[in-house]
Amino acid sequence: MANLKTTAIAKSQSPSHIQPHRVAGRSMVYAILILGTIITLLPFVWTVLTSLKTASEIIKIPPSFLPQHWTIQSYLTIFNDPKIPLARFFANSLFVAFMRVGITLFTSSLAGFIFAKYKFWGKNILFAYILAQMMIPFQVVMIPAYLILVKLGLVDTLWGLIIPSMVDAFGIFLMRQFIESIPNELMDAARIDGAGEFTIYWRIILPQLGAPLAALGIFSFMAVWNDYLWPLIVITTHERRTLPLLLTWYNTAHGTRYDLTMAASVLVLLPILVVYMIFQRWIVRGVAMTGFK
Amino acid sequence: MANLSLPLRGKRIGKKTSGLRAGQLGFISGALIPLMLYMMFFSLLPMIWALILGFFEYSPIRAGNSFLGLGGENPFIGLDNFRAMFAESQPARVFRMAVVNTFMFTLLVLPINLAITLPLAVLVESVHDRLKGTFRAIYFLPTISSAVAVAIMWGFIYHPQQGLLNAILKLVGIIPPKAWLTDPNAVYLGVPLAMIAVIIAYIWQDFGYNLVIFIAALQGIPKELHDAACVDGANAWHEFWRITMPLLKPTLLFVCVLTMLSSFQVFVIFQVMTNGGPSNQTTPLVMSIYLNAFKYQNMGWAAAISMVLFLIIMAVTAVQFWLLRTDWEY
Repeated sequence: MANLKTTAIAKSQSPSHIQPHRVAGRSMVYAILILGTIITLLPFVWTVLTSLKTASEIIKIPPSFLPQHWTIQSYLTIFNDPKIPLARFFANSLFVAFMRVGITLFTSSLAGFIFAKYKFWGKNILFAYILAQMMIPFQVVMIPAYLILVKLGLVDTLWGLIIPSMVDAFGIFLMRQFIESIPNELMDAARIDGAGEFTIYWRIILPQLGAPLAALGIFSFMAVWNDYLWPLIVITTHERRTLPLLLTWYNTAHGTRYDLTMAASVLVLLPILVVYMIFQRWIVRGVAMTGFK
Repeated sequence: MANLSLPLRGKRIGKKTSGLRAGQLGFISGALIPLMLYMMFFSLLPMIWALILGFFEYSPIRAGNSFLGLGGENPFIGLDNFRAMFAESQPARVFRMAVVNTFMFTLLVLPINLAITLPLAVLVESVHDRLKGTFRAIYFLPTISSAVAVAIMWGFIYHPQQGLLNAILKLVGIIPPKAWLTDPNAVYLGVPLAMIAVIIAYIWQDFGYNLVIFIAALQGIPKELHDAACVDGANAWHEFWRITMPLLKPTLLFVCVLTMLSSFQVFVIFQVMTNGGPSNQTTPLVMSIYLNAFKYQNMGWAAAISMVLFLIIMAVTAVQFWLLRTDWEY
């Protein structure tokens, strides 16, 4: 499966076939695609423009599209608000994201390696269990998951966001698919040289997993960064909020100050947009490659 | 070289049933046993626990007897939670609305999403490679955005006086509705206006994902088939329906199921944009679970609702497997 899709992606790099089309049809195609681009970008543009208006301009009817007086006052207000030390919330989000992504990549590749390269008793049953687990939606198990967290004393801690999701069934599945296609010769050679199994995983398998690990890593990062429901349940102390939680809190607190809420939205969107701009090619191909959502 | 390794382990490790060396079993069990115990603790146990909770009248604020806090003041009530779903009480009515809302949302999102993404993918695929990449990158942008930020952005776009949407509608001479998100009486063809508004925002955020998958699938169709169709005198329309569509069938199915599954689990955009209102017209099942469990502390009832969601999702998945199987036989 993975191979098939990778081939499909490789094909995209070869020059596309140019078919004879009528000019009218061509311009129609571009007109639709550009209209789609405008619809896709307009909400972002509108949000940024609103955040650069003065509070009094926003409540004018009808609304202006471009700010009459460009100002970054809303951003200054947010940065200078002692109730929202942004660095703190940024650090919270970053800590949870890096821990979860790092640990998930390790557990996924290790388990994927074992399921791909060894035969042992009970393997198929265990793997079937992991596959079955992929189908259980989080929303169905979130109540007992929360009760477990209460028993562990992890409610209202950042660890409560990390510890329940250190193993990702989909990640294991994805890694197994990739590791299966790695030839065994290098592993065999290392064994002859007396390497232990973990050394083989760490020194031989892991270095060959660059692309799939990057894909899984970027997607997990974005998923964790934007995660909302579980933090909403677990975190109650203001200082421990992650950025999406902070954003809803700020939105409720300043519901009518659209200059401020739009600026806050821009600030939350910005880091992920930067990540996207850097890794855009990988991300889009990764989706096509893995079907990850 | 190959001969040298033979006496060590027989043939390749991955292809023999009993070729484990001494250190290997230790490595496998050392890694997998903790992993499996972890998964059982954090996903199998919650699954079973959720199932059990559905048969109890459980609230975390009451102390129970046994180790899960069940029994005693959190009594076993059999199927009462499930029976209560059909009762004439307020929670039951809200629950049934949530079921209807969730299905309404999913059954509207799916066709609209497909009607946008599939033709758009064909169009994107037809342009020059360089531009293709640019369009694809732009269209994918909303999917990576925080759902909370998207909901707040769109909440303001829908603002009756200061919002962008009504300003545009007025500009082109359409009289806009007086409130997109808060008017309980605005219902069009049985669909509340607030629901329509959320669906538009949701599709805006979500369409790039299916688009990218469709584009990848279109690239996988051999060019020869299109050439052959061209030689046979097929026009673009016929080519799409007779060649592209049949070959896209597995992808289409995959996309349908994923779109449905994520729509059934929708929460954030509703929570932030409408908070379930007006008059519960936009309360989806997950919000119902969340509110009952964590706001009203009525976890037994919430667990029962989550079982309903689970059954719906399982049914969709089962249909998917069934459809895929018939497809392979073909």
